[in-house]
Formats: sequence, structure tokens, C-alpha cells
Amino acid sequence: MDEFQTGLVDLLPRLRRFARVLRPHDADAQDLVQQTVERALASRSKFRDGTRLDSWTFTVMRRIAIDEGRSILRWGRVVAAEDDATVRVADPSQADENLRADALAARDAIHALPDDQRHAVALVLVEGLSYAEAAKVLGVPAGTLTSRLVRGRQSLIQTLAEQGVTG
Amino acid sequence: MTRLDDEILMRRVDGELGPTEAAAVDAAAEADPTIAARIAALRRTRTAAAGAFPAATDARDRDLARMIAASRRPSPFEGIGGALAEAFAPRRAVIWGGLATAAFVGGLALGPLLGGRSEGLRVEGGALADAGLVRVLDTRLNADGADGAGRSVGLTFRDGEGRWCRTFQAAEAGVAGLACRRDDGWAMQVLAPMAPSSGDIRMAGSDTPEAVLDVVDATIAGETLGAADEAQARNGGWRQRSAGVSRQP
Repeated sequence: MDEFQTGLVDLLPRLRRFARVLRPHDADAQDLVQQTVERALASRSKFRDGTRLDSWTFTVMRRIAIDEGRSILRWGRVVAAEDDATVRVADPSQADENLRADALAARDAIHALPDDQRHAVALVLVEGLSYAEAAKVLGVPAGTLTSRLVRGRQSLIQTLAEQGVTG
Repeated sequence: MTRLDDEILMRRVDGELGPTEAAAVDAAAEADPTIAARIAALRRTRTAAAGAFPAATDARDRDLARMIAASRRPSPFEGIGGALAEAFAPRRAVIWGGLATAAFVGGLALGPLLGGRSEGLRVEGGALADAGLVRVLDTRLNADGADGAGRSVGLTFRDGEGRWCRTFQAAEAGVAGLACRRDDGWAMQVLAPMAPSSGDIRMAGSDTPEAVLDVVDATIAGETLGAADEAQARNGGWRQRSAGVSRQP
């Protein structure tokens, strides 16, 4: 394997993690990872040396996710929010049992955020990107990223406090 | 606690402040337990988020790794179109900037500047005169994606004078830009080449060249609109807010 391929394989755990923030359901997250890898391979001639492979691949994933969101809107399909119990029963592979109750509460709180805020939280808090890198992945001005992140975090603080999660 | 306070504290927690500002925040936290508690709460969101989504290995990654290993390296010629386009259209390049407005007396068709692509954009005296794009800016929402000619809108926001501004992409012309509402039309603020568009990773309207984002950063007052507010602004006919009225939340 060359450097691009090795880099992509090394990124798989992070891609899956980002996909899980974007898509609460395990099967949907898996689809998203698969599509992202396929598209990254098909588009590798556009990858420029000196670009960060993680940011580049996250951008690919975000575009796929947005496009899917659009087609759902366009076709008028209604996506019903399943309750948490259903999701967990349906997703035994998600290794939930390894997560503490606090972590589960945090995950639910993050999934409950509006898309814009959730994407900002995913890139900065979960993936550890800088504000500038995250803004680039999301294709928004730096100030927009920052305000989405602030609002997302304010909601998280409130939700977690209400549930008695002290971290 | 105001949002501005939270923003500075958040930047401190995330290591996004310079040393002087960071020291000032630390001193304030030392003097004020409320600030210290807020910093701790913000820091907890970081650990909570990281703990909620651990990077775990997954059995299915093996199949993906095999697929990646089996993929072919593209021939040097496959990427040449994109590479050439990139060479001649660097990401920060600007085809047309607002400052040049006064220089245009007559009309300007931008098509011929764009490497012979069939469809151009007409700009007259700084006002957008391309009927198709004007219609897209007037009526289309971000969630609609691209129209049949690849035209789509991206971000929508107000400038410092309360006028509506929208970023757009015109895929056939190969450009993206920013236009702001002026009188009954749209005044072009900046126009830049889209990143190479031959590739498969391009999705309609989902990214904006950095040169355009730079102008957005310099123009925006407040925040970009979400889907509901965007629809409301369109239905309201893109009216300018009168000066002196406080910003919407």
C-alpha cells in the first residue's frame, strides 16, 4: 500500500467515530463510512500533498451526509426519531455496554443537537480539529463555526447538568 | 453569563487564545470562582464528548482495509484535468472583486474569462444581470441543492447595513461568489473560480472557495441563517432592515 492507502486505513476508526456522531444508527454510520472510503479512493487524484488527510476525508464524509440530507428533504421522506431503547436493541454491535452511563448521556445529548452544532462539536471536541480546520471542513466562516460551537456547548452543559452528569 | 464570555472561555479551554489573552482569562478565573466554574463546565464538555465517542476498532474495518489495499493508484494522467484547473485557478484567486465595480461602465460577460465554458455570468455596473442566477438568488434555498444548470445558493446572512447577502455557485460557469441585495437586484461582491469540478467529490452547493469565504468574513454581521430563517427571509422579499434596529437573535 502507498502512503495514501495506509493513511486511509489508519483513519478508519476516526471515520467511524465521526460517522457515529453524524448518524445515530450504527447501520447508517457504517454506510456512511463505506461511501466515504469509496469516494475518497475514487477522488484520490484530487488529494494534494501537504493537505491533511483527516480534514480532507472528513470533508468528503460531510458532503455525502449533507447530500443525503438534501435528498431526504427533496423526496419528502419523514425520518421518525426512534426512541433510545429501540436504537440500542437494534444496534448490539455498537459496544454500548462498554460505555458508562455518563458517556451514554453525553452521546444522547450530542445527537440531540441541531446538525450545525453537532458537526462543530464532532470536529472540535471529538476529533480534536482546530477551529480553523473545522471551519474549512464545514465550509463556513470561522466566526460561524465558533458561534455554533458555543451554542452546542451551552446546550450540552445544560442537558448534562439536568441529568446530573458531572463528568 | 453572556455568549461572548462563554466564547472567550471556550477558546481558552480549547487552546485557541494567544498567550496574553490566555493569561488574562486565567487571572480572571483565579479572581472569580464563577468564571472558574464556567471554565470547568466547558472543559467537561470536551471530556464528555471524547468519552461518548471513543475511537474503537471495528471488525468491519478489515473489509474496508482490504478494499483500500486493493485499490489502484490513479494513473498520472487521470488527475491532470483537475491539476491543470487547480494550477490556473488557485483557491484564493479572485476573478472579480467588488472594488472593481466602478471600472465597469458597460456590461461584462464573464464566460470568456473562464476558459471557454459555454455559459457566462453577466454583470452590469456591479449588478448581477444574469436572469437565471438572479432567479436562483431570489427564490432558491440552500436545502434545494442545485437547479438544472448547476446553480445553487450556500450561505445567507446580513451585512453591517442590514442587507441580505448570499453565496452561490454556478457550476456551468465554473464560479462561486457572493452577492448582496441592492435596490431591487443583487450586487456582486466577489466572484472566484470553483475548485476543480470534474471530480466525483463535488456536491452541489456544499462548499465555497476560500476567496469567497474571506469576503463573507469581512461582510457578515451576526450569523448565517438556518433553514427556517432562510425561508422566512426569502418569503419576506429580502427586505433590508433599517439602520439602528437591533439584530435578530
